Amino acid sequence: MTGQVGAEVLRVRGLSVAFGGRAVVRGVDFALGAGESLGIVGESGSGKSTTALALLRMLPGGGEITGGSVELAGQDLAALPEPALRAVRGRRIAMIFQDPMSSLNPVLTVGRQLDEALRAHGGRRPRAERAARAVELLDLVGIPGAAERLGDFPHQFSGGQRQRIMIALALAHDAEVLVADEPTTALDPTVQRQILRLLARINRERGTALVVISHDLGVIAETCSRLLVMRDGEVLEQGPVQLLLTDPQHPYTQALLAAVPRLEAPSRAAANSTPGREPLLVVRGLAKHYGPRRRRTTALDSVDLELHPGETLGLVGESGSGKSTLARALVGVHAPSAGEVLLRGEPLGRAGARPDVQLVFQDPYSSLNPRLTVGQIVAEPLIAHRLGDRAQRRARVAQLLEQVGLEASAAERSPREFSGGQRQRIGIARALAPEPSVLVCDEPVSALDVSVQAQVIELLARLQRELGLAVLFIAHDLAVVRQVSHRIAVLHQGRIVESGPADRVVTAPEHPYTASLLAAVPTLPTTTGSLL
Amino acid sequence: MTVLSVPFAGALRRPVRNRYVAGLLTWRGVSGLALVGLVALAGLLAPVLSGADPNAQGPEALAGPSGAHPLGTDDLGRDLLSRVLHGIGTDLTIILTAVPAGAVAGAALALLAGTSRAADLVVQRLFDLVLSFPGLILGLAVTAVLGPGRWPVVIVIALAEVPYFGRQLRAGVLVQREREYALAARVGGAGRARVLLRHVLPNAVDPLVVQGAVALSVGVFIEGALSFLGLGVRPPEPTLGSLISGAVAYLDTAPLLAAAPLGVTAALVLGFTLIAESLNRGVRG
Repeated sequence: MTGQVGAEVLRVRGLSVAFGGRAVVRGVDFALGAGESLGIVGESGSGKSTTALALLRMLPGGGEITGGSVELAGQDLAALPEPALRAVRGRRIAMIFQDPMSSLNPVLTVGRQLDEALRAHGGRRPRAERAARAVELLDLVGIPGAAERLGDFPHQFSGGQRQRIMIALALAHDAEVLVADEPTTALDPTVQRQILRLLARINRERGTALVVISHDLGVIAETCSRLLVMRDGEVLEQGPVQLLLTDPQHPYTQALLAAVPRLEAPSRAAANSTPGREPLLVVRGLAKHYGPRRRRTTALDSVDLELHPGETLGLVGESGSGKSTLARALVGVHAPSAGEVLLRGEPLGRAGARPDVQLVFQDPYSSLNPRLTVGQIVAEPLIAHRLGDRAQRRARVAQLLEQVGLEASAAERSPREFSGGQRQRIGIARALAPEPSVLVCDEPVSALDVSVQAQVIELLARLQRELGLAVLFIAHDLAVVRQVSHRIAVLHQGRIVESGPADRVVTAPEHPYTASLLAAVPTLPTTTGSLL
Repeated sequence: MTVLSVPFAGALRRPVRNRYVAGLLTWRGVSGLALVGLVALAGLLAPVLSGADPNAQGPEALAGPSGAHPLGTDDLGRDLLSRVLHGIGTDLTIILTAVPAGAVAGAALALLAGTSRAADLVVQRLFDLVLSFPGLILGLAVTAVLGPGRWPVVIVIALAEVPYFGRQLRAGVLVQREREYALAARVGGAGRARVLLRHVLPNAVDPLVVQGAVALSVGVFIEGALSFLGLGVRPPEPTLGSLISGAVAYLDTAPLLAAAPLGVTAALVLGFTLIAESLNRGVRG
């Protein structure tokens, strides 16, 4: 994990950044030696990404460095004129970003993009030499058959491979520092692990100093030797990763660590509610195909599920496994190609035909209509199902908002005025409005910060206890799923490959796919103070 | 999680509700409003500003500016100032009827297209059909059937604008109805019409407002072109287009005859364009 730490390459002193007069980064100090690796962790709004972008003065519109210096081998980048800075970008400090889907140009071949990166900064080398170097780079980041793939376009690679290509581009000029901003947030756990290992290997073998920005402590624990914790634009503490994760000094770091769901922690579902005997929702042989018959793709392939009242069934799977298709089929938005969904023995009709099954969405920003007030949003299902008159609906909305931990006065306000966690509460209130018996939660907490995540999970548990809801909890984070679920089902390529009691599936997986999912979860050191 | 705009969104873009107003309150918006306002005011106050009857012929043809005729007279001795002022009124009435009519028709067709794939196909081809005629040919075709006059001009302008409004809204509908809140409305039990009208339409309507301001300036053009060809509002009623048309023969002897209506037309088009641009910038935030 730890590279050879050599001479200091990067020193940041008192770096401050403001957007429109509002300070978002205040007095950040850190130093980075050659071959060292530094993780910057923080929740949204902590200023961690802004800090990363400020290193190369690549701040988005309205942002400016208001103080401090960024010294690369003694040269202050914050004071450098723009043309001189361009010579540093990509050549001495390279960056990789979160989204490998949009960071590559879709209309140019990968070989062409590598060639352009190699030609930048006046690298006047013969064509053949550049091509050889491109192959070498793809080889380095682990793209199989590199020489044959130079002519391929980005869409012909998987998400993980695209992130590898981004890393290859970043390595084109043997940069001294590689800055990775949430490099694996858009990737599945198994792919995430491969990318993190690649970054760690580059750091170790090539001596490239590494800065990893992430909201996920596990990711940083896997790649970095030093850790820096940020909140509200300030550095709270920094030090060796092992030390900070096992014996954090700052209360915020302690709280952050405590909020991270641990895979080792047993399920809390049984203590929360006891499932009923009779199954409430039964899914039999559910299949969903897309496309014409001859070239059809199968999103779901003969899925069988049972959900009991008061039970939480965790559904785990990577992207493309059919998780969201299943969620949408259950609420009737997608008509299944085969099979049936029965609620109390009766077939469930089309979307919204019956209020019994409601959906909670992943993205609290796009799932609330920005043109309506919170009250109107929550009342929508009531109007659609003709429940109550105007006054009754208003009272019900107030009751629902209080039930999810918001004030009744929130009804008059716009969803824009609320934070991500509060918006998710609004989404839950909307789902509860028509008094459903089944709540399908499609990645309900994966867009939220860990501390907020814990609150929303707590809310869902309380609602289940009070209302006896059956919950289908779909997520990719196994630690969260184990914590909330009575049972876990694992979805792989449209099929349920394994299902069983939550603790059993995590501790003694039967299917090799489940085992590989579990192995990919980044782990944090657990024992407090044991290293001291 | 690394969306940089999010943490500041609340702080910097507080008055979200008034994005249109915010857009209009820039130098572009204010100068556009001032230009259009001035011209419109002049048109409204035509009887006050000029006592002369715009259609009354007098003995002095093609006279220069004088006390009785501040801008002089045309070839039939009619007062030019009065004709220009009344022409503004005619023009504004025509485009302010035609553009909203075109917008409503286009939006209705786009929503219809949103209901089913078959309807979408029909509506799309309908738009293509209208767009495939150059504006003038469309004008000629309509006036060939209806004859020249005020209403045919209104119809031509409305018809020419329908596909632009329709396509804009259709694109917005296609984007917005895939958003999660539209899905949430369906899951909540809302019917197709309710999802479309209450959730999708309000979120897709922004570009239409901008398109509306663009269409107003295009409307001035079309009116001018039709009148120029003698297919517009029947003489002697003055319009800006017919005034320019009538002035062409006397360009070298009485340039003011063309310059006055041209100046007003230019001011209107520029004003509407500035308003459209300011709204556009406001909406994009």
